[in-house]
Amino acid sequence: MDVGDLVGPERRLDPKVRYVWVLQAAISSLIFGVMVGLPAFLVFERPFVGPAVFFLVFTVGATLAVFRYRRWSYQVREDSLFLDRGVVTQTRTVVPYVRIQHVDASRGPVERAFGLATAVVYTAGSRGADVSIPGLTPERADDLQDRLKRLAIAAEGEDAV
Amino acid sequence: MSQRLAPLSVGYRAMETAARLGWILIFVTFGSSQVLEAWQTGLLVVGGLLAAGLYQVVYWQRFEYELTADTFDIRSGVFSRRTREIPLRRVQNVDLQRNVVQRALGLTEVRLETAGGSDTEAQLRFVTETEAEQLRAEISRLKRGAAETPAGEPATEPEAELLFAVTPRELFVLGIVSVDLRLLSLVTVVLPILVPSVGAGMGPVQDPLVAFALSAPMAAAVIIVVAALISGLYSVTNYWGFELRRAEDELRYDRGLFQRFSGTIPLAKVQALSLTENALARRLGYASLSVETAGYGPGDASGSQSAVPIAERDRVVSLARSVEPFGPVEFERPPKRARLRYVVRYTVVALFVVAAAYAANRFTGFTFAWYVAFALLPLAPVGAHLKWRNLGYALLEDHFVARGGFWSRETRIVPYYRVQTVIESATVFQRRRDLATLVVDTAGSGGLTGSDARALDIDADRAAELRDVVEERLQRALDDARAERRRRRLVELQRTETGGFGGDVSPTDD
Repeated sequence: MDVGDLVGPERRLDPKVRYVWVLQAAISSLIFGVMVGLPAFLVFERPFVGPAVFFLVFTVGATLAVFRYRRWSYQVREDSLFLDRGVVTQTRTVVPYVRIQHVDASRGPVERAFGLATAVVYTAGSRGADVSIPGLTPERADDLQDRLKRLAIAAEGEDAV
Repeated sequence: MSQRLAPLSVGYRAMETAARLGWILIFVTFGSSQVLEAWQTGLLVVGGLLAAGLYQVVYWQRFEYELTADTFDIRSGVFSRRTREIPLRRVQNVDLQRNVVQRALGLTEVRLETAGGSDTEAQLRFVTETEAEQLRAEISRLKRGAAETPAGEPATEPEAELLFAVTPRELFVLGIVSVDLRLLSLVTVVLPILVPSVGAGMGPVQDPLVAFALSAPMAAAVIIVVAALISGLYSVTNYWGFELRRAEDELRYDRGLFQRFSGTIPLAKVQALSLTENALARRLGYASLSVETAGYGPGDASGSQSAVPIAERDRVVSLARSVEPFGPVEFERPPKRARLRYVVRYTVVALFVVAAAYAANRFTGFTFAWYVAFALLPLAPVGAHLKWRNLGYALLEDHFVARGGFWSRETRIVPYYRVQTVIESATVFQRRRDLATLVVDTAGSGGLTGSDARALDIDADRAAELRDVVEERLQRALDDARAERRRRRLVELQRTETGGFGGDVSPTDD
């Protein structure tokens, strides 16, 4: 197999990932809302504080989820994996294949509900586990994992550390 | 042939356990209301000692280690047994450690570090001093490639060249410079305990607030002096008799007055260098150097920080060059608009302090001249300028260099060959001014301290350019290394064919 078959153009995430993120935002804002709302209700007798906090945090989270999806892209290049993402802080990461230690495909409970998976790329760097690509269909995650594995092996990296 | 730990280590470790038990016993007897009878205490003590001793004997019996041609094996475990094999090629550092008691008993702790994981991979507690030295020499020899010295013959130690030995003057400077103001955080703990008694000792001052106002500055001053003395003394004893040697392809260091540390740093495993000068050291023209391997980084709490503690700046730089031959560095500064960011940021912080002081004055009974806090405002631009002035980055032939920090200025030198990932990021505020930050990540940079090589707040376009350049140069360096490896293998192959030495080693054994 040729390296040319493994590399690809800039790819975007599966649109369904927005729902995953929105749901995650809903869960965390629900927790936050209860944490703030319960004492507000019991101590100060303000029942509307909790829902207000929930609504506020949820709106911010959901908006971020939509923008995050729009911004996210990754590209399997010839020598490195390139990620471009981030709403508040825009981050572009270059991961040379020689540095890849291993690649995981993981599926959280919410992701499973939507039929999505995440590919996590580990390097020996101090920010190793930082490099993960969410919002992939299981097939694409497996395919990506396989491609990165082949590319990492082909990169012939001795003495990574 | 597998080896055991030194028999004396049984006694030492048993005493260690006993001492720990003793502490618990003291807390139990003084903490609980029902006081134990004397014979009960005695029984506890004897029983504890017996159990500790027994456990340590079994531990010693079950602990076996062996140094083979290419691995270091340990079989250990009293309750659950464990067998561990560490490939010698993966060993990053070998450290020996002995405290005062251990030195009196002739015991040494040996640690082998490999990359990954914060724990020490192999820890021998304890072997005899001669055994430890032998182990270290043997591991170094095997790592160099045992093929070059025929087996059976005693390992010839390569000539170790003394690179650096700390002078009394440097130790003195170290003591002054390393006055660690972080110890001041102790003040917050100690002050509430100390102040009432100091206040009480001052006589008939009835108002607790007045007593506080009088005693607090005094107590604070005393604590600062004590903290300074302790941190200074700690550094001096820690780096007492520091010596750095270079033996072929590794560095060796020895240091410590009470607790003796010595270790090796393989040069082939160096990930990055970092040159640290705090404001005081800069003024005196001194600097310190850390050599970072993937085993651990500078500022590691394990106490095995391996570097030059302090020396004149020029000397430190030339030492650094002997480890990583980097060329002359000319720093590029971030654009001036970055400085404006810091002015704004520091002004906001100053305003917060003013607001807090005002609020404290207005809403608590504690009245004071809150408007003094306004003095912070003119300091903001000064601080911003100092921060900006100390920032810088440089792209050298084979290295990426980044500098930052005012109070403690750190210059990090990263060979392109060691780059793990390159990260370019821009926050909302940075984007407003068209700025970005470039982080060049290596293996083993301490994740918590976040001491990556980073070019902070540089021009956004330049950051994107740098990202490509650094990656490109990494690939180039990798290609070079690959070509070099091939060349070497070819030479070796020819040598074995012509019947030179090392004929018993397969040339493709890589």
